Amino acid sequence: MQLTRVALSNFRNYAELDLEPAPGLNVFVGQNAQGKSNLLEAIAMLGTGKSFRTNRDIDLVREGLELAVVCGDAQIRAGIVHLGCTIAKNARSTRKTYTINGQGVRYARFLGSIRVVTFVPADLQLVGGPPSLRRALLNIALAQEDRTYYHELARYQKALQQKAAMLRGTVAFDTDLLAIYDHTLVEAGTAVMLARNHFISELKREAERTHAQWTGGAERLEITYAPNVPFEAPTVEAVADAFGRRLRQVAEAERLRRSTLAGPHRDDLGLALDGHPLAAYGSQGQQRTAVLALKVAEYAVMRDRSNEAPLLLLDDVLSELDRERAAAFLAGIGGYAQAFVTATHLPDGLPDAARRFEIARATVRPC
Amino acid sequence: MSSSGKIAGPVQALINEFTKLPTVGPKTAARLVFHLLNRPRHEAQALAEAILGVKDKVRFCSTCFSLTELDPCDICSDERRDTHCICVVAEAKDIYAIERSDAFNGRYHVLGGLISPMDGIGIEQLRVKELIARIGAECPSEIILATNPNAEGEATALYLSRLLHSLSVTVTRLAYGLPIGADLDYADEVTLAKAVEGRQRL
Ligand SMILES: [Zn+2]
Repeated sequence: MQLTRVALSNFRNYAELDLEPAPGLNVFVGQNAQGKSNLLEAIAMLGTGKSFRTNRDIDLVREGLELAVVCGDAQIRAGIVHLGCTIAKNARSTRKTYTINGQGVRYARFLGSIRVVTFVPADLQLVGGPPSLRRALLNIALAQEDRTYYHELARYQKALQQKAAMLRGTVAFDTDLLAIYDHTLVEAGTAVMLARNHFISELKREAERTHAQWTGGAERLEITYAPNVPFEAPTVEAVADAFGRRLRQVAEAERLRRSTLAGPHRDDLGLALDGHPLAAYGSQGQQRTAVLALKVAEYAVMRDRSNEAPLLLLDDVLSELDRERAAAFLAGIGGYAQAFVTATHLPDGLPDAARRFEIARATVRPC
Repeated sequence: MSSSGKIAGPVQALINEFTKLPTVGPKTAARLVFHLLNRPRHEAQALAEAILGVKDKVRFCSTCFSLTELDPCDICSDERRDTHCICVVAEAKDIYAIERSDAFNGRYHVLGGLISPMDGIGIEQLRVKELIARIGAECPSEIILATNPNAEGEATALYLSRLLHSLSVTVTRLAYGLPIGADLDYADEVTLAKAVEGRQRL
């Protein structure tokens, strides 16, 4: 897939922007705070419908204005699709609305119309950082790929929030109501765990293969699914059974501690090098190599699942890597259809065919 | 929107009031105000009186808790309506939607919301005791749960169906469907799956 046009109106620091990216590699060079990340954030929103940098949608609307618009034309296998995302701010709240080919659609429908893989400096903490970072990788990739996953995850999170509120005491404790929330948690949570299990098995294969190539087989990366509720076999029966049993085991503790204690919202991705946990034992360099292998794998799995290369968005991340790693990463990605790269300086070793742009004060010019 | 010196005080005041309404932003509010300014005085008066009339004359029906001028409401006091069937809805506005469909001839019960601990709404905050009392007094043969097919509507319907299980009354749930006139192409897979699950024999 390929983005043939991106248009912004009052998005972040952009008043108006109308850009026709090239197929292949697009490089945006500029000083900090000129609008490089904002542009990539807007492009990513055409895929995920959400900002990868903030939950505060109000920040997406240009200072002092009420309405921001991000539109794009994308060439996908099914043809050309016109995508629109509007962020409207009023006195009380900020609301996002979505269109596909001019027709209003719900978020769940918009999500994944085009697919994106983003790589930002914060992702370099994927190995050493908290589990929430690794769950976010799984959720963002799977939600774009699989509408049922998004639906089940949303259903799970809603039931979890309601249950947590009751445990906190916002309403009288009610065992019957708890049973209803637990029922939804098991049903939706089982679907989430099974989808993650499947996705991670593909991620594992790609990441371990790439890593072995890079290290010449000298080090062995191992990726595992570390579900909060272990299960014996990846079947609906086994997972639902294990999760239901676990919820019954922790029921009393949850009531005492007034919070939810078990379920896929506490899942993690296990990363080990030669049998030792990477976060605890790996050097900075080893952790970084593993992160790159994971991102290469994420891209490969998303490409192979739908047989169509997603957009690759690299925000200021190549300059964080040494030259050798940056080159290995781009080579590892291999045949991307279209990529958007931002940097403060033109990175070394870019293909000559790359289209180059300069960004200064929210103006984008070819250079 | 902050008050600006360029706009006359009363105009800004009315814009501010409109902006407090659901779904009305500052731009729509301004359009409404300038529209009203161009209409004759009696129209503005009729609007103002209608708004006050709603507040002064409308109350809850003591049987079904829908909004009414007379208690009991038109539906509860209509003898031609079927007393064997009570349709449970979240809000009074849901009654208007079902009435417009002309498909239902029983009576209603308005819960006054849906179970949502996040919003501080548990079973005690809803008119559930009143529903059970009605079932005891009116002995209906069927209760239709017509709450929305969202997470809160589902949880509330499930809770009520379990609660009413012990009473000798049939409890049914509104079937899911596709919006009439919706393009199948644009109904997402989840909605479609639900519609298929909830299909009925014809
Ligand atoms: Zn009534």
